Amino acid sequence: MQAVLAVMYREFLIRRTSPMWLFFDMLLPLLYLLMFGVALNKAMGAGMQAEGITVSYTEFFIAGVLAMSAFGSATNQSYGFFIDRDNGIFYEFLTYPMTRGQFLFGKILFQCIMSVVQCGLTLLAGVYLLDVSVRWNSIPFVFAGMMIGTAGWFFLFASLAFLIRRNDTFNTVLNGCYFILIFLSSMFYPLDNVPTWLRLASLANPLTWLTDGLRWLVIGVGDASFVLTEMALFVVFLFFSFWLALKALQRAV
Amino acid sequence: MTNTQAIEVQDLVKVFQRRGEETRAVDGISFSVKRGEIFGLLGPNGAGKSTTLKVLTTLIAPTSGKASVLGHDVVADPLQVRRNICVVIQENALELYLSVRNNFRTFGRFHGLGAKEIEHRSDNVSEQFGLRDHMDHKGIDLSGGLKRRVQVAKMFMVDKPIVFLDEATTGMDTFNKRTTIEAIKAESRKGRTIVLTTHMLDEAEILCDSLAIMNHGKLIAQGSTETVKSMGLRLLSVNIQFDKMTRQILQSLYKTRPVKVDVNKTDVEVTVRDEKQALQILASAKRNGSVKHFEVSSATLEDVFVELVDKKASGS
Repeated sequence: MQAVLAVMYREFLIRRTSPMWLFFDMLLPLLYLLMFGVALNKAMGAGMQAEGITVSYTEFFIAGVLAMSAFGSATNQSYGFFIDRDNGIFYEFLTYPMTRGQFLFGKILFQCIMSVVQCGLTLLAGVYLLDVSVRWNSIPFVFAGMMIGTAGWFFLFASLAFLIRRNDTFNTVLNGCYFILIFLSSMFYPLDNVPTWLRLASLANPLTWLTDGLRWLVIGVGDASFVLTEMALFVVFLFFSFWLALKALQRAV
Repeated sequence: MTNTQAIEVQDLVKVFQRRGEETRAVDGISFSVKRGEIFGLLGPNGAGKSTTLKVLTTLIAPTSGKASVLGHDVVADPLQVRRNICVVIQENALELYLSVRNNFRTFGRFHGLGAKEIEHRSDNVSEQFGLRDHMDHKGIDLSGGLKRRVQVAKMFMVDKPIVFLDEATTGMDTFNKRTTIEAIKAESRKGRTIVLTTHMLDEAEILCDSLAIMNHGKLIAQGSTETVKSMGLRLLSVNIQFDKMTRQILQSLYKTRPVKVDVNKTDVEVTVRDEKQALQILASAKRNGSVKHFEVSSATLEDVFVELVDKKASGS
């Protein structure tokens, strides 16, 4: 546990020195919700149909923002490996008295805490500024979903960061992933009326599983058994990503 | 492994495969390091020293062979190995966005020190390594030499029984190099085992109790520093001071085919293989120029190193 706490302490010190990182971690999704959500909400007028229920676009989009913030903070955290590698400290860490798993676990635990804070801020803004009605009794599960979501994406992108080694290549891969995974998902629009190929591709995307799960937990939209299957699939994805990250970390030197 | 040995390496092999090409960086080496000694791993660039250190510090796994640190196998029990070591890696390693003080704090935390102990020890090493005035400076604002100093100073904050130093004094000025050498000696006197790689052979000669010389992934010599210096070679260093340096003098010196010739204005240092060659050199010097002064001494570690590496490279 001491090693995990040491990793978290180090993450805290680094974030404290970088207000820009803090801005991206804490406020960017909130701004997405306030600007993008509000604009589309106005454009859509009377609301939209999602899984047979009429909701405002802001209500629909808030889970998308949460999934996006989990995805974004995971990619930010995994990009940190390039900074550590450039500073040389990455290799020194690997000689410290901790396992590779503890190193990864400490990093993600810190990021999960950041994600939960970010999620809380977004939900508060949704409720008090945009009139979103939230299922308050599900909030602990929403936080758990955020942590699982952040961890799943972090481990996947950490594996890529360890294997790719070049940050320009990593950036290109990251941009590609952003574009494909975000638009081939239920983050921005419901999948009910999209073409079959798009629906099938989106349903195979872990970001859809995460978004659907969070949407069900936050506003109650979605078929419970289907969403629970998606959440279970995401947990499998999390374990697979963790295994991949551990393997990649063994080969990172 | 006997309990007097801190490190034991047996038939260690490390092969890298990149883009279908195989590189045998370490090729079946065996050696051991006694507890409390300063052990030097020497060799030219690309000899396999850093790869060996990376295996011993659990950064990479060997392809075959065995290596253990204080009885803990580096592959089977890497965490126990890491609990007993601290490492100055070859690359600069510093938290660039944290102050020197916070660099010490994070390092201390990782090594299980409490807050008070960290402050106390970081005060000590900052004093020892002349970092007191830089404690609140961020890593990114430090010069290359200062960064290296912080990196080395961190290692002296913790009491791990084995310290690995990969080219630790690279980039340091003379003053700090001396401080580091003194710190290494002091730590060794406390019973810590120090394993170092260095290009500075004079440094190795001053510091090391025993040595291993590597070339092309293989060990070409090992033993106590004195043993390595006298390994079947009776190398001598002949220093001659001439009144005036001429082309003829130089040609005559090279004709005797010495190991090495260093010329500095009218002073010449010639490394020779034995007494017979030393006498030839002196006779030739007397014939071709006016000798003001001469001195014959046993060769330095550097002379032995050059001879050993050259000899293996030429296959003799």
